[in-house]
Amino acid sequence: MEPTDAEIIGASFDDPAAFAAIFDRHAAVLLRFLVRRVGPDAAEGLVGESFRIAFERRAGYDCTRPSARPWLYGIATNVLARHRRAEARRLAALDRLPRPPADALDDQVVEQIDARELLPRVAATIAALPPGERDALLLYAWEDLGYDDIAAALGIPLGTVRSRLNRARRRLRELREPEGAAGEQRSTHSEDRGRIGS
Amino acid sequence: MSDDLDPLRRARPDRLQPDDPIDPAVLSDQRERFMSSIDQTGAAPQTERRTPSIYPRLAYRDEVAALEYLTRVFGFREWRESRMENATGMLAWLEVGDGVVMIGRSGPEHHDISSPADAGAVTCMVNVYVDNVDAHYARAAAEGARIVMPLEDMFWGDRRYEALDLEGHRWHFGERLSHVRARLEG
Repeated sequence: MEPTDAEIIGASFDDPAAFAAIFDRHAAVLLRFLVRRVGPDAAEGLVGESFRIAFERRAGYDCTRPSARPWLYGIATNVLARHRRAEARRLAALDRLPRPPADALDDQVVEQIDARELLPRVAATIAALPPGERDALLLYAWEDLGYDDIAAALGIPLGTVRSRLNRARRRLRELREPEGAAGEQRSTHSEDRGRIGS
Repeated sequence: MSDDLDPLRRARPDRLQPDDPIDPAVLSDQRERFMSSIDQTGAAPQTERRTPSIYPRLAYRDEVAALEYLTRVFGFREWRESRMENATGMLAWLEVGDGVVMIGRSGPEHHDISSPADAGAVTCMVNVYVDNVDAHYARAAAEGARIVMPLEDMFWGDRRYEALDLEGHRWHFGERLSHVRARLEG
């Protein structure tokens, strides 16, 4: 049977090279995550940095967790915290994407067009979220992590994951309501200090 | 699954515009770099670090720049695996000989510790014994430390100099003269 991530990490104390298997299992997923957040150019180096940090911190790995993926997502999320500007550029680039041709109107394309209509506001909403909410939200909606894995990744209690996602949901719901009805709500939340681009 | 998060799900960058497939060369290149960095650090003990009974925490406006400065200019070695980072700041531990200093961000929300750059005054000096104060002085001076007391032999038996770092913390670097003599005589 294939060894679990926890077993490999355990073995890497005596044999550091064993950690290569962790890279092989998760590097592609982590790279795609980082590309989504900061774009391909910046993501490349960050994936290596994330694994170097993971290796150095392997003594802190909770070996009751067989899969290291949430832990690695958490490390990569921390690495992203120092690249908020790259992330802001990536979000700004999102709403400059070309629109699909109007003559290919199958369901998927209609959905895409709908998404692109909302896109500038979605991108702005993501950018305006406090970092803690943004990190939890994007792990959930883009990476399909469950609440439990998000809690493990970010090192926060389950209840905090729930409240962050609920707040983020509320902000997104306002997008669908007519302009003005939702109002230009200026959050006075203290976490806002870390906002992208501010 | 359909809910309030759908617009966000659909706005995932690679759903709007599929990315080029991952270039295998990118991953193999990163893998190679990663493995060679492991080779260098692999032998390092992973056991719990011994933290001295007393060690200062210094505050900086820009603790990330401070970390870079202290390792480059003064040659401190970071306990990389101890570093803690989040959106509101970074904490790092730096080792010098058998001593440790901790650095973090300056400000009321960070234990109310100030950087001299914020306080307009230096309120402590950190004394550090190094193995070779001549070489240490040469490196610090070359890397742009602000030397505020020259390298001198002192009556109490030390060779020492003093320098200010990037935000004005005052550092005193010394070596026992007996150690200097032993070093020079080989």
